[in-house]
Amino acid sequence: MGRLHAEEMVLNMGPQHPSTHGVLRLKLRTDGEIVSHIEPVIGYLHRSFEKHAENLEYQMITPFTGRCDYLAAIGSEHGYAMAVEKMMGIELPERVEYLRVIFAEFQRIASHLVAVGTFGLDVGAITPFIYCFRERELILDLFEMASGARLLYNYIWIGGLAHDVPPGFVEKAYEFLDAFDERVAEYNQILTGNKIFIERAADIGVMTPEVAINYGVTGPSLRASGVNIDIRRTEPYSIYDRFDFDVPLGQGLQGTIGDSWDRYYVRVLEMNESAKIIRQALDQLPVEGDVKSAIPRRIRPPKGEIYFRSENPRGELGYYIVSNGKNVPLRLKMRSPAFSNLSVINEIGQGWMISDVIAILGSLDIVLGEIDR
Amino acid sequence: MTEQEIYANLSRKFGDKVIEFMEEGTHNPTVVVDAGAIAKIVTYLKDDEKLQFDSLMNLAGHDADVETEFSVIYHLVSTELKHYITLKVFTSRDEPKVASIANIHRTADWHERETFDLYGINFEGHPDLKRILMEDDWEGYPLRKDYVPAEFYRGMRIEKVK
Amino acid sequence: MIQLLANWILSFDILSGMGNSVAWGLSLFIVAALIFVFVAANAIVLVYIERKVSAFMQVRLGPMRVGKFGTLQTVADALKLLQKEDIIPKMADKVLFIIGPWVILVASVVTFAAIPFSDTLLAANMNIGLFYVVSISSIVVLGIVMAGWASNNKWSLYGAMRSAAQIISYEIPVGITLIAVVAVVGSLNLQTMIQAQAGTGNLFHWIPIPLPNWFIFHSPFLFIAAFVYLIGATAEINRTPFDIPESESELVAGFMTEFSGLRWALFFLSEYANATLVALLVSIIFLGGWQSPFADYEGAQIGFSVITLVAIMWTLFVRAKTGRLSVYPLGLSLVITIAAWLFPGFAIWMASPGIFWMLMKAGTIIFLLMWFRWTFPRLRVDQLMYVSWKVILPLSLINLMGVAIWMWLTGEIQF
Repeated sequence: MGRLHAEEMVLNMGPQHPSTHGVLRLKLRTDGEIVSHIEPVIGYLHRSFEKHAENLEYQMITPFTGRCDYLAAIGSEHGYAMAVEKMMGIELPERVEYLRVIFAEFQRIASHLVAVGTFGLDVGAITPFIYCFRERELILDLFEMASGARLLYNYIWIGGLAHDVPPGFVEKAYEFLDAFDERVAEYNQILTGNKIFIERAADIGVMTPEVAINYGVTGPSLRASGVNIDIRRTEPYSIYDRFDFDVPLGQGLQGTIGDSWDRYYVRVLEMNESAKIIRQALDQLPVEGDVKSAIPRRIRPPKGEIYFRSENPRGELGYYIVSNGKNVPLRLKMRSPAFSNLSVINEIGQGWMISDVIAILGSLDIVLGEIDR
Repeated sequence: MTEQEIYANLSRKFGDKVIEFMEEGTHNPTVVVDAGAIAKIVTYLKDDEKLQFDSLMNLAGHDADVETEFSVIYHLVSTELKHYITLKVFTSRDEPKVASIANIHRTADWHERETFDLYGINFEGHPDLKRILMEDDWEGYPLRKDYVPAEFYRGMRIEKVK
Repeated sequence: MIQLLANWILSFDILSGMGNSVAWGLSLFIVAALIFVFVAANAIVLVYIERKVSAFMQVRLGPMRVGKFGTLQTVADALKLLQKEDIIPKMADKVLFIIGPWVILVASVVTFAAIPFSDTLLAANMNIGLFYVVSISSIVVLGIVMAGWASNNKWSLYGAMRSAAQIISYEIPVGITLIAVVAVVGSLNLQTMIQAQAGTGNLFHWIPIPLPNWFIFHSPFLFIAAFVYLIGATAEINRTPFDIPESESELVAGFMTEFSGLRWALFFLSEYANATLVALLVSIIFLGGWQSPFADYEGAQIGFSVITLVAIMWTLFVRAKTGRLSVYPLGLSLVITIAAWLFPGFAIWMASPGIFWMLMKAGTIIFLLMWFRWTFPRLRVDQLMYVSWKVILPLSLINLMGVAIWMWLTGEIQF
């Protein structure tokens, strides 16, 4: 029996919609509940980051980078600082590198907690979201201790850090880590293994490795498709080569490799790996060291250009910077991971139901701040 | 394969379409190629057994000065062989056009739209070239060095920031 | 109850002159008002409880500011809703938009007329009580479709369509499940049903565990039927995991997206009225309604001692599993057990039927519904249909047949 085809209806999801994770508009062409075409319309949050950057001195750009990916501000700051440092050839004190890794990984956990929680919210499970935010609050407390801010830190400066961590920070970080594994087990209990959740997420929106690579999908979403690319591992930046950690890949435990469930579960596993890295970094953290000793007095990278990439919680965050030797960059382009990750939605979301499109969108974990920049 | 070898490979294959190899002043050794041939070169880079550049990391437009030509920079990576190459094309200021690679690397789809949006570079052969970040009816291309900020947008005054 | 009230009114000297029919009409009005007040107060209390329950499940505190422990929060919310601006979208179908919420509210309030809260506390003792409740409560879907269509909003339309499909699909298995019970009782009268569940007997007729004669323990088939009914009814009242008509992450708020203020409050009122209705029906049909679980005061004493034992084991289990000591269930059951043994009067009260037991049972079911809501994700629309047509419907048919065979085997009916 053939399917009955009725008239197609165009459904505007967003810009105001509870599940678009920001100000995103999806133009859905629907036939009943089935979505036949998805056209994302972005730009509602465009704040001319790149235009601003061409008019600001290098050190003044750091706070702007944090505002792009507001759920992982440290990741953006870290990538930017490293790009400029590489252009200028700055050698960092050990303590700075360790603290940066600790904060970057804490930020990864915090960001994945939001991703995991909101994915639960997208498929209708409200409680796990609150549990995830409980842990995120504890991480934000740690950030507050160090930088004084909870969301946008301006903590990683070019050549160092804004402040050293206050006394008691390391103990509190250990305290968090000690409780964390148990908490992750709690999420697995309430969400990961839930039959309804598996029904909703497994086999939905399967992204094959070829599609993922072709669309430039990076980060956990790519690894869920079984592609073993983690920039922390494949081309270690900072001091990531010193730590022992696994790169979780999608294995299709509940369905096909690269389905929404895998994208969710890879994030859950990555939280554990990040906790492992933080623990090692805290163990090795040098006691001595001035975090501001390497900050250059004048930031004027030599003439030239660089494309520097690092692993953000959402994927590959690249900075393409062109310098003409002045204190203002000639061109600064941010290759934001969620920008490419979102572009794949039409490819993997076609032919699914409206509810599934929301689940797929949630599993991609986008932040509109960095898509629109 | 090193960038030097890739350059040699490319110039063997494409002759004068491959213009020069830049290693000075950049952290990512760059091959400058002809704007019209970029699609063919990227296809070759993607399909060749020894190269396998299957992933486009980044595509960025660049405008160095009010008088120079625009350039578009392609950062390619091979996920299999783990090597990198950066391609660069130049296109004239009056009539900027570059061959589109959106059908080869789907990543380029939105990145080319963004570059068109901000620089006004026309990507020939792009399936749906329209503005992506700015409003559809925005006038001018904001990242051009000779861009003058508009005073009004749909009757609303745009505040000048010093 | 209406006749009782009328007689009571006429028993006053001053009022006796008004005549029987006037008194009857007056008491009809009073009872109707009482039902409405019950529904409204019930919604306010349940919203508060739901917020508290969800808060405790989510390691939060819930409302704490208005009144002691936030008890007045929902009252404040209701007042706020009353004075909110009433917005009717410009392109909406005004008549349907206005009627819709009222249809839903009326349909869900009117069903309470047939619900027996105790042996005397019931508005209308109908011989088709169950049929009445089931048929009237399905009018709700009309109101939902009206509201969804009239809003002239695509999301509302989706919500209304989903809701219509869902409610109609689930009515079939739910109805068949209820027929199984009706087959056992031989009557559609809800009061008769409750009376048929008096006393104690063996579990499933043969297994020698003394349990109340509730229909849930009548046979394995009715035991399953109770859960089938609970699942189906959860779907019929659009609660998680079957809340796809108003799924807030997909359809914004489904059929009530465009409603605000009082009209929106009506939806809320009827939502909780429906939840209460389902809880009451489950307790009437399967859990013996206002019957006490204990046959006599000794039964109450022994029963609570068993409950205390279970509570001790539960506490130890929780302690071993999570390392936390939760003493509330144990303490509560201990207090009641001691009271039951010390004061026979208390035990006798426990063993006597009444509205207390009715509300206890209904409260437990409502808590169960809340528990579902705050732990489960939401099903997709096709999965929901799958559950209805391919799982619950066959199961309810098998149940119906099984119940008939069971009754023949146990000799309850002869051919």
